[in-house]
Amino acid sequence: MRQNNMVAMILAGGRGSRLHALTKKIAKPAVYYGGKYRIIDFPLSNCANSGIDNVGVLTQYESTLLNSYVSAGGRWGLDAKDSGVYVLPPREKEDADLGAYRGTADAISQNIDFVDTFNPEYVLILSGDHIYKMNYAKMLSHHKACDADATIAVLPVPMEEASRFGIMNTDESERIIEFEEKPEHPKSNLASMGIYIFNWKLLRKMLQADMDNPESSHDFGKDIIPKMLAEGKRLYAYKFQGYWKDVGTIDSLWEANMDLLSKNNELDLADQSWKIYTEDVATMPHYLGKDAQIVRSCVNQGCYINGKVEGSVLFTNVKVAKNAQVNDSVIMPDVEIGEGAVINRAIVAQGVKIDPGAVVGDPKSEHIELISKRVR
Amino acid sequence: MCNAFGIVNFEGPDVRVSGLEDYRPAGAFSFLGRYRLIDFPLSNMTNSGIDRIEVFVKNRQRSLIEHLGTGRHYNINSKRGKLHILPVETGVQNDLYNHDVAGYMYNMGTIEELDQPYVIIAPSHMIFRYDFSSFLEKHMESGADITMLYHVVDTAKETCINCDVLNLNKQKGVLSIDKNRGNYKTRNISMETYVMSKDLFVDLVKKAANTSSLYSFKDIINDECSELDIRGVAHKGFFACINDFKSYYRTNMELIDYEKAMELFSDDWPFYTRTNDSAPTQYYSTSDVCNSVITNGCSIEGTVENSVIGRGCIIKKGAIVRNSVVSPQAVIGEDVHVEYAVVDKKAKISRKKDVLGDAQNPLYVKRNDKI
Repeated sequence: MRQNNMVAMILAGGRGSRLHALTKKIAKPAVYYGGKYRIIDFPLSNCANSGIDNVGVLTQYESTLLNSYVSAGGRWGLDAKDSGVYVLPPREKEDADLGAYRGTADAISQNIDFVDTFNPEYVLILSGDHIYKMNYAKMLSHHKACDADATIAVLPVPMEEASRFGIMNTDESERIIEFEEKPEHPKSNLASMGIYIFNWKLLRKMLQADMDNPESSHDFGKDIIPKMLAEGKRLYAYKFQGYWKDVGTIDSLWEANMDLLSKNNELDLADQSWKIYTEDVATMPHYLGKDAQIVRSCVNQGCYINGKVEGSVLFTNVKVAKNAQVNDSVIMPDVEIGEGAVINRAIVAQGVKIDPGAVVGDPKSEHIELISKRVR
Repeated sequence: MCNAFGIVNFEGPDVRVSGLEDYRPAGAFSFLGRYRLIDFPLSNMTNSGIDRIEVFVKNRQRSLIEHLGTGRHYNINSKRGKLHILPVETGVQNDLYNHDVAGYMYNMGTIEELDQPYVIIAPSHMIFRYDFSSFLEKHMESGADITMLYHVVDTAKETCINCDVLNLNKQKGVLSIDKNRGNYKTRNISMETYVMSKDLFVDLVKKAANTSSLYSFKDIINDECSELDIRGVAHKGFFACINDFKSYYRTNMELIDYEKAMELFSDDWPFYTRTNDSAPTQYYSTSDVCNSVITNGCSIEGTVENSVIGRGCIIKKGAIVRNSVVSPQAVIGEDVHVEYAVVDKKAKISRKKDVLGDAQNPLYVKRNDKI
């Protein structure tokens, strides 16, 4: 398919420091989710499924793994002649020294030349750390129908939680008249999802001005959007219905995994019309031994389970030995759980060994325990 | 890098897997829920450093060609390597004429142009793990004309019936080749896997074609036993020949045992297959599953015991599946009871509540069937 006239740019520099050991060596977009995915598979698959052929991924924090992961664009089918996934870490330029991206807007500003090579009419700005399924082509149609300068995807949130988000106040035609970052007394419940479509010509001009503005924090939410509103540009809200999650903490990462266990859950990863693509690993199917018991769980290929698994998500190649119990937990790839070990309400990081008989986590704990080292 | 090109051969007329064969060649049979049989010889080849592979196909090739695609998923270098699909086109709708030699003759131009001085031939209906680079090394060291792989099968009264049997002398020279009629317990079963120089291969193919239009490659090898230095190399580890419906069922069942499966699978020897991008499998609150092999993309609410469940199957509430092989995308409806059965791809069983075979005669449920 010839490329449409929109390029996507995924902001993937997030540290995710509240995910502690999980993001010590990898950026948040590369964190595992849902038994076989990494979080960034969601925006990338959404792009592929929406017919967006060229995607820039802006990386910064601990980017080695993330860079190599996304550069294999074939995983998302983005390796045809007219398409590609481009890794864009900060770079030294002829007229500028190597500097970090100073903010979300600056990351795009520093890659104006990259976007220009596609000569797009529109640019889609996405975050690499959100879990959701969305058809950006529909959002673009909405953008065009509104004759907008910019369109911002918004999620209706419960009014009592609205003060935790960036809130868009709109008129009856859904044109945005005001943007408030974490308002104490919210006037609306439409939270910005950090998903923007801009007319490139206009955004390009604004980014150039923003780069040289010493007052600016170079952020879309704090600088670019308020400035556009102040200049009377046409900004529209695009209401999103469906599952959306920003997993900022261990507890919320765990919860998002647990959301998958209920039947007919909103994310519906089994939907054949909107698959989420990821790395293809060559492992056996998963094996359940003679003593295995499994209910309400999600298991990926390569696992060997001979214990009791309940209310849990097991990633690739997890081994659960006889008489071991895994309850309400997320077990990341290559974890080995020894005979008789018990795990409750925990996230066990990749490759960790839980020795036979060890007990990890507490069924009554308020918070989820993160296990990132061998437990003896 | 291996100094040989590979040939993956199709099955001869002695392979008869009733039911399954109506829809696809043996290489395209679904196996252990996730694979197709041809994944095994192809992965063995690419893991051995062979990156030029000729896959021969005959009838009903649609699903096989779809599965193979460009071959990229087999880890073949996309510039230097190639997976090449070669059809047999004799213009005759008769399996007796559409044998491997006819395929080789039809594609002789392609074969003669290949640069590699050696050829390794493997069948698409046998399952084993083997490093062909060591096979080639052994062959070159020995100075033999042809080296063949065999497996010492000690259940030859019941299994590998009609397979070729190698009669070997003490130096492992092949004296003659017989058929396994099930008369003896222990036999050297030919794995129909050969290594030889390309030149000899080409000569033998031409000789076979000149001898008889019904000659397959096996026949000419058999003829040449006394003329050429043909030697056997024993294979150790898991081996299975899928040449009838029972062996298809039995081999799937055998590999449900994890210990047994580990004789075939190994972390440093991946078996590649085409990804389907399925989600992980979901187990719900009513699921009761043990001693089974389950593939990705399934939704399981029922009971599964001692079975293989393929990609994207749905096992509904109250359903019971025991001692069965359920192929990808099949649906086992509420309260349906399936035992000792092979359920082919996309079959849906919802109305009939009991689909029961027995251990000696497992049932076959047709592809796309609605029961």
